Amino acid sequence: MSAQPRLAARDLSVRFAHNTVLDQLSVDLPDGAVTAIVGPNACGKSTLLRSLARLQKTGTGQVILDGQCIASQNSKSVARRLAILSQSPVAPEGLTIRDLVLRGRTPHQSAWRQHSVEDAAAVAAALTATGLDGMEHRSLDTLSGGQRQRAWIAMALAQDTQLLLLDEPTTFLDLPHQIELLELVRRLNHQTERTVAMVLHDINLAARYCDHIIALRGGHVHSQGSPKDVITETMMQEVFALPCTIIADPNHATPHVIPT
Amino acid sequence: MTYTLRLGTLSLQLARRNLLVGLGLMLLVLTGGLAALHMGSFPVGAADLWTALRGDMEDITRMILLDHRLPRVLVAVGAGAAFGLSGAIFQSMLRNPMASPDVIGFNAGASCGAVLAILLFGSVRFVLPWALAGGLLTAALVLVLAWDRRRGTGLDPYRLILVGIGASLTLGATSDLLMSMTDEQRAADMAQWLTGTLNARNLTDAALIWGGLLLLTPVLLWLQFPLSRLTMNDDIVQGFGLRLAGLRLVITCIGVLLAALAVSVAGPLPFVAFVAGPVARRLLGTGAPVLAAAALVGALVTLGADTAARLVPVVQLPAGVFTAVIGAPVLMWLLVAQFRKGAL
Repeated sequence: MSAQPRLAARDLSVRFAHNTVLDQLSVDLPDGAVTAIVGPNACGKSTLLRSLARLQKTGTGQVILDGQCIASQNSKSVARRLAILSQSPVAPEGLTIRDLVLRGRTPHQSAWRQHSVEDAAAVAAALTATGLDGMEHRSLDTLSGGQRQRAWIAMALAQDTQLLLLDEPTTFLDLPHQIELLELVRRLNHQTERTVAMVLHDINLAARYCDHIIALRGGHVHSQGSPKDVITETMMQEVFALPCTIIADPNHATPHVIPT
Repeated sequence: MTYTLRLGTLSLQLARRNLLVGLGLMLLVLTGGLAALHMGSFPVGAADLWTALRGDMEDITRMILLDHRLPRVLVAVGAGAAFGLSGAIFQSMLRNPMASPDVIGFNAGASCGAVLAILLFGSVRFVLPWALAGGLLTAALVLVLAWDRRRGTGLDPYRLILVGIGASLTLGATSDLLMSMTDEQRAADMAQWLTGTLNARNLTDAALIWGGLLLLTPVLLWLQFPLSRLTMNDDIVQGFGLRLAGLRLVITCIGVLLAALAVSVAGPLPFVAFVAGPVARRLLGTGAPVLAAAALVGALVTLGADTAARLVPVVQLPAGVFTAVIGAPVLMWLLVAQFRKGAL
């Protein structure tokens, strides 16, 4: 392992009542890369992502952000470096896209500084990046699933952080919209060298759009590394209990899972 | 249309619609106040107020204006504003329109304190501190019971509402019990107080509520910013770097203080806190700062109710009889208008 990445977990454990969700787990999120966290339901994927963003109360071990334990850092200062978009986020009814995206600026704002020049610029940039230009006065309730998800991503982008965590951003989207969203993530990563980590269910899409895969099983890391190294027939059997054949995707040469 | 104000590092955003709504409400409260001074069994021209304040006025008119009507109008506007603010604060923070202090037990606590004071001292003289103490004590109890130690997010909105409704019912029954244990005169005093009344309010009451509001103004100006973020879910709020548990505690204290202040000068006027926030929200654009508008709506409802109560001939009706009569149709009208538009 080369230099310490900006965000990592060390020997992290999380317990809910008597149920151990994460068990002394260590992961690195490589800087400037797109990482996917995969695994069967209830393996601790979301808990890991939420812990990495200090949203989850953890037991032993720690999350390290920029060389320091994340829990000991000022939460607002963390929010200027790390943004997380949780599963099924909630906004007040009738909120416009623009107001939603502006709320992403919260860590840069205060009660006396609610709309600076930088805020306006960051909101405009986030709207452009997500292709929502010209729609900013529409209310969130009137959008399609794909548009709404882009609006939420725009809010996270406006937070203007180098680290971006997305919890199941493609759930509830049809395949074309899943592709559209992952293309957007890829583009953001290329253009701004943002480090992205997301929980994904679709292994084939993860293989195609991510540089780094973390496979979880029962609160442990089964394997982590490049898609080619991690997505193997053995891993699919051990993590998902799914017998399959792995072929190379004819278009992109990334691993492709065919269940047998 | 939105205006952005920037002054050095200070920056603010105001939408024209919200600005107009605010100004309109302010104008309504002002004209309502003047009308209330004018109306009554002894007619006084609104223009006479200025003459009375300057002191060139016959004693009887002066007395009616300055000692009776003016304090009453001031208390109605102040207490109504405090109720409106308190309701809007809890409803936003707990993301639930049911979560107003008259539903979650804080008003019931203040009432119970007041009833106890009347029972112990035989008059309404010591009601004020006891009502304040009753409200704060109830809030403390509800908070302790509803606090979530496990997740570190502090108050759980649903738990607070459930525990609060429980507290409200228990305290209401206790008040009834206390009332049944005493003589007729005291019971009548209690009943009047429990409905919420502005009869015989003086300038001390007005000074108390307005002093409280004035002291809390800087806090309320700050509050709007975190409060508008708290309408989103916990993960988002924490992801923005806001400290959820601490914020919820501070905001609850502010809301309880406002409700307790209002109850101690006006009694537990029903429905004002409950209705002000939703009405204000429907007048304003979505995502707009709702506190100022809620305060003005609360003031309007209370002023209207008290003036209506005053104008009923022969009997001295408590204002609390009219707050729901005025507030409920307004809310229903707004809701139906939204159903029609298909917005709900």
